[in-house]
Amino acid sequence: MSNIVCSHVDKSYGSINVISDFNLDVADREFIVFLGPSGCGKSTLLRMIAGLEEISGGTVSIGGTAVNDLEPRDRGVAMVFQNYALYPHMTIYDNIAFGLKRMKVPKEQIDARIKAVSATLGLEPYLARKPTELSGGQQQRVAIARAMIKTPKVFLFDEPLSNLDAKLRHHMRVEIARLHQKLQTTTIYVTHDQLEAMTLADRIVLMKGGAIEQVGSPAEIYEKPRTLFVAGFIGTPNMNFIDATVNRAEDGWLLRTDGADLRIRGHGFALTHGKEVVLGIRPPDLVPADGGEGNVLTGVADLIEFHGNDALVTFKFGGKEIGALVKASGCPAAGDRVAFRFDETRLHIFDKGDGLTLRC
Amino acid sequence: MKTKTLLPAAFLSPALIILAVLALVPTVYAIVISFEDRELSRPDGRFVGLDNYVSLFSDRRFLNAIQVSLTWEVLTVAATLVIAIGLGILMFECASPKARNVLSLLFLMPVILPRVSAAFVWKFAFHPLYGIITYPYKAITGQPLDLLSNPVTALGTVALVDVWQWGLFFSVIVLKLLETLPPQPFEAARLDHARPWEVYAYVALPMLKAPLISLAFVKMIESLRAFDLIYVMTRGGPGISTETLDMYAFSQGFIESGRISYASSMAVLMMIATSVAFTFIWKRAKV
Repeated sequence: MSNIVCSHVDKSYGSINVISDFNLDVADREFIVFLGPSGCGKSTLLRMIAGLEEISGGTVSIGGTAVNDLEPRDRGVAMVFQNYALYPHMTIYDNIAFGLKRMKVPKEQIDARIKAVSATLGLEPYLARKPTELSGGQQQRVAIARAMIKTPKVFLFDEPLSNLDAKLRHHMRVEIARLHQKLQTTTIYVTHDQLEAMTLADRIVLMKGGAIEQVGSPAEIYEKPRTLFVAGFIGTPNMNFIDATVNRAEDGWLLRTDGADLRIRGHGFALTHGKEVVLGIRPPDLVPADGGEGNVLTGVADLIEFHGNDALVTFKFGGKEIGALVKASGCPAAGDRVAFRFDETRLHIFDKGDGLTLRC
Repeated sequence: MKTKTLLPAAFLSPALIILAVLALVPTVYAIVISFEDRELSRPDGRFVGLDNYVSLFSDRRFLNAIQVSLTWEVLTVAATLVIAIGLGILMFECASPKARNVLSLLFLMPVILPRVSAAFVWKFAFHPLYGIITYPYKAITGQPLDLLSNPVTALGTVALVDVWQWGLFFSVIVLKLLETLPPQPFEAARLDHARPWEVYAYVALPMLKAPLISLAFVKMIESLRAFDLIYVMTRGGPGISTETLDMYAFSQGFIESGRISYASSMAVLMMIATSVAFTFIWKRAKV
């Protein structure tokens, strides 16, 4: 068992609080992703779990033991850094073997384990080289090998793919996913890239300003964002937001916006008359409206972004830029008048005051 | 193409001309008179071939000077580097950024002091009757302690002053070098079950190999030029126990007998030996 429990974890530098009252249970074998914009404290948190940063308050325990006062080497964790952090003067073999040598593992055993690990990661041809003679992707694989070979209780990844180009990033992402499938080691992975988070995570911990915004599976976070911030952070292209005032109507609710009045039944939302809200609609949920039925957003298309299969149509609606993702074939041209409708079930409504979802 | 080859020459020539006048002329002249039998007391000299060189190797004082010079070189270079690395790591590990700056300033001071002044200050500090360093010994035992007059301790005591000046200075350089290293490999090593000393021994210092070798070279050359320090503190004594090669050449040429040709032959030998040794070490270190 190597679950991780963070309870009431704080971190402050002098009088500046960067993380306050962070609580999280990571189950054994789980793949958790800390996601958030830069400066949200996700890397600091990871470094606290690794033992590279002092924990100002609260406890972190790994596999049932509190590790607050343990040295990094005694915590049973292995970490992969953003800039690989390989030992530049050692060969790849020595880089991977370094930890085992410090643990006084017999030479033959080190040899055998390096053979196995380098076979898994395709590093056999490079063992005699120095890190600078390898490409970025290969260096990161060495860093992963160095972490893997210690058979740690927990893997920590600190933005491991940020220094790689887009194509290699995709490739390495798949490799990391496979590796986790195979090894089943509890993993915490820090990133600011939502695509990495969505594809890799069992659960995403979305953070902002040192606090958790939402914890949930990628689908949960995408389908039911708890706050306006989560809704805006997750999903490409970004969710559209429209300010509205809620009015009671005879068979439901009337949402008054600058562009149009929208009629909804409002099931599953805690609405009250006169409330100021923010409506959220994802661009793929806007579909071209042929007839006049239902809620329709209309405007003049002013920018068409071609994405391949799809195209993003941007138009002004009530003074706001709204994006709609449509099939690229037969999409409108700039200057055309466009109309889109949406299904009420795809609508998100947030309190304008505190940004929390009104979904109940 | 032609301008490309001319331009470097144009920039280099003034410096090379000055160097030729200041360094080459005396060097060539020294080589020439090392084959003669000139003395300061006589205006003339005649060609004697390799006589000076041959007699050097039966001169026990010369052989002693070689030994003292080698001891001095090894002792000061090794001690300076050990002190510099040890203190540098200690500051890097234990001192806050502010304390580091204060310590760096303090550690830079000795080397700013002209070596002759440093030598006088320390000579007085080691004075058997009035010296502050020997005072505790005198107070406890009632016997004066004269380190500079004891053939066994004299060279080590002078070396102490040299290390005080250069070891502290180099420790500041080592600290600054450590500060320039990226912290991630250290952190990776700490996660890789390395104890603090292992982080330095296996990661930090090997990453600094090239600058540390350069420092060693600077110190080796600097140690060769320690004439003024030794001259002030012991004048080669007691006896000939701190008489280095340059000290012996100086006293042969100017103090005792004025045998300028004999002294020159010593200088020429030193020049050849150091050139060969340094080239050899430099080549080895680069691999």
